[in-house]
Amino acid sequence: MELAWYALLGLFFAGYLVLAGYDYGVGLLLAGDADVSRRRAALNAVGPFFLGNEVWLVAAAGILFGAFPVLEGELLAGSYPAVATALVGVILVTAGVQLRSRPGSGGARAAWDRVIVVGSLLAALGWGVVLAGLLQGVPLQADGHVAGVTHLFTPFAAATGLAVVALVVAHGASFLALRLPAVEGDRLRPLARRLLLTAIVAVGTAAVVGLFSDRVRAAAQRPAVGVLLAVLLVAALLAARVALGRRRLGVAFAATATALALPVLLVGATLWPYVLVSTVEPSASLTVADAAASGPTLRLLGWLTVPLLPALLGFQAMCVWIFRGRTDGRAPVYW
Amino acid sequence: MDTLLLARLQFAATASVHFLFVAVTLGLVTLLVGMQTAWVVTGNHRWERLTRFWGQLYVINYVLGIATGIVMEFQFGLNWSGLSRYVGNVFGAPLAIETLVAFFLESTFLGMWIFGWHRLRRGVHLALLYGVAITAYASAFWIMVANSWLQNPVGYEVRDGVAHLTDFPALLTNPALGMALGHVLSAALLTGGLLMAAISAWHLNRRTTDHALFRTSLRIGLVTAALAITLVQGFGFAQFGPVGGVQPTKFGGNPEADALIADWTARFGPGDYLPPALSNVGLGFMILIGFALGLLWLLVPLLWRDWIIRLRFPLWLLMLALPLPFVALILGWIAREVGRHPWVAYGLLPVDQAVSPVSPWLMASSLVGFTLLLGTLAVTNWVLLARHAARGAADPALGRRPAQPPADDSRPEPAFA
Repeated sequence: MELAWYALLGLFFAGYLVLAGYDYGVGLLLAGDADVSRRRAALNAVGPFFLGNEVWLVAAAGILFGAFPVLEGELLAGSYPAVATALVGVILVTAGVQLRSRPGSGGARAAWDRVIVVGSLLAALGWGVVLAGLLQGVPLQADGHVAGVTHLFTPFAAATGLAVVALVVAHGASFLALRLPAVEGDRLRPLARRLLLTAIVAVGTAAVVGLFSDRVRAAAQRPAVGVLLAVLLVAALLAARVALGRRRLGVAFAATATALALPVLLVGATLWPYVLVSTVEPSASLTVADAAASGPTLRLLGWLTVPLLPALLGFQAMCVWIFRGRTDGRAPVYW
Repeated sequence: MDTLLLARLQFAATASVHFLFVAVTLGLVTLLVGMQTAWVVTGNHRWERLTRFWGQLYVINYVLGIATGIVMEFQFGLNWSGLSRYVGNVFGAPLAIETLVAFFLESTFLGMWIFGWHRLRRGVHLALLYGVAITAYASAFWIMVANSWLQNPVGYEVRDGVAHLTDFPALLTNPALGMALGHVLSAALLTGGLLMAAISAWHLNRRTTDHALFRTSLRIGLVTAALAITLVQGFGFAQFGPVGGVQPTKFGGNPEADALIADWTARFGPGDYLPPALSNVGLGFMILIGFALGLLWLLVPLLWRDWIIRLRFPLWLLMLALPLPFVALILGWIAREVGRHPWVAYGLLPVDQAVSPVSPWLMASSLVGFTLLLGTLAVTNWVLLARHAARGAADPALGRRPAQPPADDSRPEPAFA
């Protein structure tokens, strides 16, 4: 039962990284494009999906609180600066994307676009550091509380944060290549391939820093799984690069999407059966089962929410289906 | 500096800003459902224009509702990790249900509604707005279930210092829930209705174009607000019984409260178990505002032969009354939340055990940072709302035909944009 809820938590957080990942990627790409109409085209390519993407985070946080209350408190409070950074980023992107086209003047729009760029950067960086923080273990004391927040500031956390930024930028570019009108999308392909190369280098660097980090080596319960998934991650990025070269844009997008989901699986599987590994007191480490809510709560949530899962995913699929294909002159413009 | 005080201030700031926007969201979406239904049923173009104009304001307002909502959700873990540790088994359940069945679907539907204009069949498009409204109300319900549990913990037993869920239906029949939910929902309707009436009054007073359009929304807004204020008063006074019953200390000293305080002193040690005076002073002002807004009924007869517009001064009254429901909302929440001090979960979990053990400096930077950020965004959002309200219903961006050149753009867009 705990495993099922843990998997569901992973599904929603990975879904958030995949879906909002391209929002943030598109947001970051605004920095490299001075053309006003191209910026607007890029944001409206995300258009109808934007609100639905962002709420995967809300759902993940809901599952975290409902099904893993102890983990919720310790993880969030124990990674305070990283979570707060990510949240500031999420808020800036949410407000920026939805409000940028509401002022009349071009100057105000350019300012909002800078807000979106900064927000996307902070969100990707923040969640990357949160994931790295899990993987390198936390100073969980015998009383069950994480002591201090300085444990986050390590080379591995910084490298992972930057790697997630590089991942979302490449993912955003591969989304736009698939979604923008054919001419525009084609123009982005060389850029997307270069960004994928950067992402491969960034992910590789983070992996190497992780391998040399004592804390990561000590925290990893299944290092082989971790290494295998990291290799898969790089392979997905290489596959995306090849697919872009052959104009297989759907395949490329699927590959970058996989690359954004894999970090979540990597952290979950490498630490299993633990979720918070203590760096100071081995017996204080928190297993998934200990972090979970008690039986009656999980059963209740199961009865109430699991039957609704098909509806949740179904309405998201409906949104994708309605607005499928490339944007064109008939596509609605609102953001 | 005191981490606990800073965490409480941050919660108060975030929750206040959140509710100012959420109330408008709930109120306006209800009225929008009516307008779009009228459009689909009658096919009358006027209803489409009303839906677009008020829908645009609704969508702008929604942005801050979602932004502050995300901060609220994460704040429980960031600042109040003891809350999830000791009572998360019970309190977390309604919150998890809210995010999955309500918040998640609401945003998914709204994204499709905004971009579905001219793309979906009218019936489907209308159904999406119904989806948005139903999930918004579901969201309010589950949040109030969670909040009522903190006001009056029920349906649990404590084993090893941690609360476990034993009786979920008890959460739904919590005496702290029913009347409060009605009070909050009708207050949201009052806010939405008065906002609509006041903006329409501004246009009618300025004699801008679209007289007929704003005449209609003035009538809808005023009648809604008048009906809602009566409900607000009814549900409000109906709460004194049940809330006083489950929270004897809320409204000041009485024999029951003294007995309870003696019991708490024995179990939790000596302390100040009465809430600060702030909560009841706020309550008094809120009740005054409630009575003042009851006078909205005096304006309703003036709808006859448009006397309300011809006399002009009732339009001014409506515009001047607009801040009142917002002030009352904040005061009401202060009475409810501060009134249960010093408890996070009444009689079960004191605030000092719930606050996260983080350094005061970290908490202070979080408080200052998030409050400045959300405050700035809130003000910006209101400025944008005011500008769009003043611009009128000529051509809102919401629901504009894609081929049409956008009127509010500084330069024309290429075809694909």
